[in-house]
Amino acid sequence: MDVFEAIKGRRSVRKYKTEPVDKELVKKLLDAARWAPSGGNIQPWLFIVIDDSKVLNVIRKISPGYFGEAPLAILVCSNREKAYKIGGTLGRDYLSIADCAMAVQNMLLAAYALGLGTCVVKSFSHAAIKEVLAIPEGIEPELLVIIGHPNQVPKPPPKVPMSEIVHLNRYGEKFSGLEG
Amino acid sequence: MSGAKSNGNDYLFEIAVFLATSARNCIDEPPLYGPFRLLDALSKIADLPKHAPCLKEDPFLQEVKAIVDEKKFLVVYGGEEFKKAIDEVVEMFAKELKKRYLEKAKESSE
Repeated sequence: MDVFEAIKGRRSVRKYKTEPVDKELVKKLLDAARWAPSGGNIQPWLFIVIDDSKVLNVIRKISPGYFGEAPLAILVCSNREKAYKIGGTLGRDYLSIADCAMAVQNMLLAAYALGLGTCVVKSFSHAAIKEVLAIPEGIEPELLVIIGHPNQVPKPPPKVPMSEIVHLNRYGEKFSGLEG
Repeated sequence: MSGAKSNGNDYLFEIAVFLATSARNCIDEPPLYGPFRLLDALSKIADLPKHAPCLKEDPFLQEVKAIVDEKKFLVVYGGEEFKKAIDEVVEMFAKELKKRYLEKAKESSE
């Protein structure tokens, strides 16, 4: 699939079929995630794959942003201790989060290319998810990626026109000829 | 929330967890997520009779729930559309209040 097709076609899916996600596809998503760029090559990410329906059900209850009955979720965590050891405070407080976000984007695009729907959720209870998944100190849950076969795909959200967000050479200078 | 039927106590517990986690998250989340969570809570509460047979299903609340579930995600498309959707729901309640407490009361007193 063309990368631009994936970038523009991906949506946050909130209605899923109950059909499970093939394990080989899950492996592909995780591999795509770990190939994301990483500041200082820290690779601070950790992935907790949740496919046990009982655990998913509990995660759903403590995540107000979790919609639909997707049969799979991947919690992307950052290893803040590792990030600090390698990258100092910049690594711990900024790069670890940015790296995880880039890993998630890889995962989303790969999922779309494989015909899967995804939704990124940050609205979960941080304290509760650490307790439920036995996540130790130094490891921080960053983003929960809900994954499944889409049952309904929403319409695209409005985007801020490029002319409002792009500057040329210095702030405030127009980049002429931009559409929208 | 799970689509599988649970008993009334389990479902009530789920709603309580939803409210507690939402309360905490609303402190840090975008301001519009507060009304969004309240609408979602309304949608969940409307389903309570399905899990607690001692309660009678309320067709009006089911109607409201359908509107809420259809429109709650307008929150991501901008505040104005979302606000209109909530106004629509509140208007439905206002009409229903009149029907239940003013018009029917009037009829019964006549």
